[in-house]
Amino acid sequence: MSARRIVVTSGKGGVGKTTTTANLGAALAKRGQRVILVDADIGLRNLDLVLGLEKRIVFDLVEVAEGRCQLRQALIKDKRFDSLSILPAAQTREKDAITEEQFLAIVELAAEAADYVLIDCPAGIETGFRNAVAGAAEAIVVTTPEVSAIRDADRVVGKLNERRKPIRLIVNRLRQEMVRSGDMLSVEDVCEILAVELLGIVPDDEEIIDTTNRGEPVVLDESSRLRPIYDKIARRLEGEIVPFTNFDNPGFFGRLIDALKAG
Amino acid sequence: MHQLQPSFDSAPEGRAVEDDSVTKPLGRAIVVTSGKGGVGKTTTTANLGTALAARGATVALVDADVGLRNLDIVLGLENRVKHHLLDVLEERVTLDDALVTDKHSPTLSLLAAAQAREKDEVDTEKMCALILSLRERFDFVLIDCPAGIELGFRNAVAGAQEAIVVCTPEVSAVRDVDRVIGLLGNKFRPQLVINRLRPQLVKKGKMLSVDDVNAILRLPLLGVIADEPEIIVTTNRGEPLALRPQTPTGAAYHAIAARIAGDDVAAPMPVLKESLLDKLGTLFGGKRA
Repeated sequence: MSARRIVVTSGKGGVGKTTTTANLGAALAKRGQRVILVDADIGLRNLDLVLGLEKRIVFDLVEVAEGRCQLRQALIKDKRFDSLSILPAAQTREKDAITEEQFLAIVELAAEAADYVLIDCPAGIETGFRNAVAGAAEAIVVTTPEVSAIRDADRVVGKLNERRKPIRLIVNRLRQEMVRSGDMLSVEDVCEILAVELLGIVPDDEEIIDTTNRGEPVVLDESSRLRPIYDKIARRLEGEIVPFTNFDNPGFFGRLIDALKAG
Repeated sequence: MHQLQPSFDSAPEGRAVEDDSVTKPLGRAIVVTSGKGGVGKTTTTANLGTALAARGATVALVDADVGLRNLDIVLGLENRVKHHLLDVLEERVTLDDALVTDKHSPTLSLLAAAQAREKDEVDTEKMCALILSLRERFDFVLIDCPAGIELGFRNAVAGAQEAIVVCTPEVSAVRDVDRVIGLLGNKFRPQLVINRLRPQLVKKGKMLSVDDVNAILRLPLLGVIADEPEIIVTTNRGEPLALRPQTPTGAAYHAIAARIAGDDVAAPMPVLKESLLDKLGTLFGGKRA
């Protein structure tokens, strides 16, 4: 049986596509699934960094497309999970170095040896976006609760609808205290505007900055606040019905306890 | 009244241009770029434009992100945009018809991007001619570049003479900016704005410092902007923080604008504010490095 091919996209950059791809991939691998992550951001690759695999790259996506190596030679196995691999993008090439047909063929080949192929889409809606989407049968749209990110996500949802790809939504970097003070859109607002089924809500947490810089997905850290959130998203993706967490402000004492623990 | 002349015979590069009766030197066209998305290009463009206009300069902001425009939202002008960049490039309207005057700063104007069009519909040569026309009329032309390094990037950069690169203190952003600096080459004299620095995290060793970032990039530093939740609020409301120079972030944008204009002022740096929580943490936890 062939894998599910899912593109992680957003329109706007910097909303967390790569972080979502890495953590969701690791969460699925932790559940025993065979996962291949494909970095479609040719020229501006970052998925390797987020997983701490940048020093292990030998071949890349474009070299596979050009037939200069086999797909299995280009795949890099994750340090922590045998069942998780990445296919890195080329760094010194351009997005038009590969066609939609070539990209789809590579993803289909990867899908033969996996349960999930997650495609990390570049920002924007140009050639890189079209390639990434061409390889996928479904889409996860990542957005933050900001007017500009939602406008861009809406444009992308339109393009995915045209291509008849089923879409689910992750609302990333939610700050509940700002929602409460009326300074940030709520998840309900975002879902209403985009009219897309919700897959997950991820709160804004500074631990993600540090783990990303160190190349350690948060789903591996048992003490991480975000780990259970990505685990739940992975379960929902697999078809389980998992209730959404209500991110309430821990209040002064909750934060104090967190601060003491961190010390 | 000037109309856009898509031909190249309008004015030779770098020379003064006849403008009715007065002669005005050509303005400076600066592209704001980064490679990585979401690092704050649009916010930086809006705030620097606002701060330059507050100094009395005439400023045009050009949204080059065709299909994913946002500069109008950040300035709160989304309901006033009638025509856009491609209307002008395709000569359906004049530049005057398409420029929207800012609601806060009378010397600041916006040329919005087309939302329902694609980046490959922009003609690079016409884009260069448009930027030149804007330089004839404005002291500063700031071009808000789309994320990535595809055609949208190339068109945004084409008409500019200088570049401001925006980077956040994250490994992935630094890598993307480094790539963009390589693509820009030596022509644009790129200068750096470091955005979203959290001094608290830097102190704890959980975020790259200004020196860490610039040890890799090695660019002249225009200034550093702190990560403040206020930015999200003001962006959603369409009121750039530079309208409030009494706030630390507003003041930082004004200092960067002064440096762009050539004033000898120090590059703004966020200060480490010790919160009550930190003090309590020190008190109870002992060593919170």
